[in-house]
Amino acid sequence: MDPNSASNLSFILDKPNSVSFADRPVPSIKSPHDVLVGVNYTGICGSDVHYWKHGAIGHFVVKDPMVLGHESAGTVVAVGDEVKTLKKGDRVALEPGYPCRRCGPCLGGKYNLCPDMRFAATPPYDGTLTGFWTAPADFCYRLPDNVSLQEGALIEPLAVAVHIVKQAAVTPGQSVVVMGAGPVGLLCAAVAKAFGATKVCSVDIVESKLEFARGFSSTHAYISQRVSAEENAANIKKEIGCPDGADAVIDASGAEPSIQTSLHTVRMGGTYVQGGMGKSDINFPIMAMCLKEVTAKGSFRYGSGDYKLAVELVANGQVDVKKLVSETVAFKQAEQAFAKVAEGKVIKILIAGPNEKLE
Amino acid sequence: MTERNPAFVLQSIRNVTFEDREVPKLRDEHDVRVHIEQTGICGSDVHYWQRGRIGDFILNSPIVLGHESAGTVVEIGSKVKNVKVGDRVAIEPGVPCRHCDYCRSGAYNLCADTIFAATPPWDGTLQKYYIVAGDYCYPIPDHMTAEDGALVEPVAVAVQICKVADLRAGQTVLVFGCGPIGALCQAVAKGYGASKVIGVDISKSRAAFAEKYGADGIFIPEKSSDPNLDPVDASRATAEKIVEQFGLGEGVDVVLECTGAAPCIQAGIFAARKGGTYVQAGMGQENVVFPITTACIRALNIKGSIRYTTGCYPKAVELVASGKVNPRALITHRFKFEQSLEAFEVVKKASEDTLKVMIEGVQ
Repeated sequence: MDPNSASNLSFILDKPNSVSFADRPVPSIKSPHDVLVGVNYTGICGSDVHYWKHGAIGHFVVKDPMVLGHESAGTVVAVGDEVKTLKKGDRVALEPGYPCRRCGPCLGGKYNLCPDMRFAATPPYDGTLTGFWTAPADFCYRLPDNVSLQEGALIEPLAVAVHIVKQAAVTPGQSVVVMGAGPVGLLCAAVAKAFGATKVCSVDIVESKLEFARGFSSTHAYISQRVSAEENAANIKKEIGCPDGADAVIDASGAEPSIQTSLHTVRMGGTYVQGGMGKSDINFPIMAMCLKEVTAKGSFRYGSGDYKLAVELVANGQVDVKKLVSETVAFKQAEQAFAKVAEGKVIKILIAGPNEKLE
Repeated sequence: MTERNPAFVLQSIRNVTFEDREVPKLRDEHDVRVHIEQTGICGSDVHYWQRGRIGDFILNSPIVLGHESAGTVVEIGSKVKNVKVGDRVAIEPGVPCRHCDYCRSGAYNLCADTIFAATPPWDGTLQKYYIVAGDYCYPIPDHMTAEDGALVEPVAVAVQICKVADLRAGQTVLVFGCGPIGALCQAVAKGYGASKVIGVDISKSRAAFAEKYGADGIFIPEKSSDPNLDPVDASRATAEKIVEQFGLGEGVDVVLECTGAAPCIQAGIFAARKGGTYVQAGMGQENVVFPITTACIRALNIKGSIRYTTGCYPKAVELVASGKVNPRALITHRFKFEQSLEAFEVVKKASEDTLKVMIEGVQ
């Protein structure tokens, strides 16, 4: 892929429900620590769809046209003068958020909390559904030969799952319940397994998702019913054979009933991690948290070591991310792909880069 | 007349001179230039002067000495937000690369590519002006003097040592060494609410200083009169005496070893309670006889501490600004910039009554 002759066609959100394709100037390397990458594949995330439909998430509002996409893998086409870890031709998974490196959170090892984070496809920054992308070299992770570029595009959601499971501090032999069997929930189950959990239960309201979960990484599955949170929790505990509750419960749904069920499912002294995003304010079983001395933590994006571990988990065969890809489409089919994701009938759709030739 | 930048330079081992250098320029938009007002001298500065190396850091070309400094910001890069021209600041002298895995995981004190003032090959702060990344400068309140600001550096070292020890209020703490670092560790530990802080030193005058400074009690080990006593047994006996004398139960919660001396290292391990914490901060011999079986049986947490990490400098400034730690009391000698060599000779002499030696900046 030659940046001088290849296309830099980009998929742009102009305003809610209105997208277009346009050729953008190929970006240039501005820092000696940066690399220029030709984007090969990009997965679609719920957040991309949310911006498409609503034009905002929380206080992030799309004010100007913005290129979408942030779950990408690509091939290095040029490197800055001080880059020693990558060379032209290396295939990489792209970490799409670049912190300032100078604030307290950055210097303290929590760069995901940097207040000046520049994140692809979070306004006002453009995303990766484009031909070429610049990034600091330390935010590009070389894919070993046995990991494909399509798998590389799944490293981003896998890194999200790695971060969540690290927050949950899952250790070998533990029991873990994951609310939500969408891509992140499925990957959390897989990572929990990789961290040594012996019981991993996926919970969802859609039977087909649970069926997939059973075939993927989960040892148990439970379909949520329209009963109280305590009753659902009792059923889950029975299902997994843990009368005292699960060591760790992860919410990857953002749904209020799931969060409530979570607090009744976790054991005394256990850990609860909020990964999913739904309503901003909910009714929370705070008494359960207090009486059971539950450690409750949030989880946001990914930080130091998460991408590296995600690549290792795929390379070692511990997480089979390929299974999550429902379909791969050509770049010009991007809008249709977004529509399919919005309908909720697929797991992951990958959009090939504008210079990618699909068989 | 064009502005110049006088500097105190280590040309080669044991060979220092004054140089008339150019005023240094900002390297990028994140840099600031500081007019240095005060610099404290550290043992490491003297060590490079006399031996030309510490570990793998070897003097191969001239370097400006000094790294414990404070001054006034005179120029800032366009992207600097945390300080402005005119601010009085304490300078954190080691700026890491910000790109490696250590930096990204919050352990920037372990970054191999750190630019550290007066560690070869990098220039230090004993010059009129010093260039440093803006975010490594910390404004100090008006009531803190430039001397206080310069001594924020050793206070930050003590803060890091206590951070590594995970020191909590209510704990008992035994600190070996009543030199500047040991004394500051005692003061910081007290500032954190430690219930009992004991300082140990073989020097009567240093121990006496520590008793007035931050320690609740001090202990001066006596040389054993028995020539046949095994040195490690002697250390164990010292530890047992300390624990008994100060009512420390089965042993202290936390030992901070700030001497690097083998007898202290050994006594420190013997004085720690089961499940306690031992932190090695002092640097002496590279290899010592170590009571490893005791460490094992008592399930001790043994950690090393080097330099400082995120939050140490702001914490150190706060401890000094609030009066919990008074670094100025450590100053025993003051010199003008032109007397830098004399200042270094005083530190080199290492008389027990010498604690902190300060060199005023170029006016």
